[in-house]
Amino acid sequence: MNSMRVEHHPVLGDLENQKEIKIYFDGQEYTAHEGDTIASALLASGIRTLRLHEDKATPRGIYCNIGHCFECRVRVNGKNTVRACLTPVENHMQIESGTPLSASFIKGGTL
Amino acid sequence: MNEESTVVCRCEEITLKEIQGTIEKFNCSSREVKLRTRAGMGSCGGRTCRSTIDRLVEQMGGPVISNEVPLSYRPPVRPVSFGILGGAKE
Repeated sequence: MNSMRVEHHPVLGDLENQKEIKIYFDGQEYTAHEGDTIASALLASGIRTLRLHEDKATPRGIYCNIGHCFECRVRVNGKNTVRACLTPVENHMQIESGTPLSASFIKGGTL
Repeated sequence: MNEESTVVCRCEEITLKEIQGTIEKFNCSSREVKLRTRAGMGSCGGRTCRSTIDRLVEQMGGPVISNEVPLSYRPPVRPVSFGILGGAKE
């Protein structure tokens, strides 16, 4: 169910049907269109949480969507810190969301 | 405004309360706030919270923004992986 994808745009008109491809996010399969970025493909399938904050474990996702803020960093095909908002999707792409690493209050936290 | 839940630095998730507390306790400049709380050290390079920290320091009587650049831009301007620094192909 492409719940969020804009099929009929008042100005741009209807979405021409691009080629559908398969992407995997944390082991689950999703369909995406060629030419989507990872962020927009996942958003179209209703996924907004791309990672959990490394320290405070809060859910994080798209923020600037132009490659500045790195909030959307995910792990793609084993490569870390890939910006989902800039990276186009490819067929059978393995995407893994960021997980919390360690609790900083254990090693002293902020002063 | 609930200082506890107001996040100033998104990347490191440092709340307004922590920053105000640090400024009050140590009466420090924005650079010192950055060193003490990591606010401004996140992956966005301080783009989101830099000016807020400067203004908070100014508001709370910290050293007014003198000629000393408060939160200077530190290399790398964009996060870069050690792999690439080590010559791995992009």
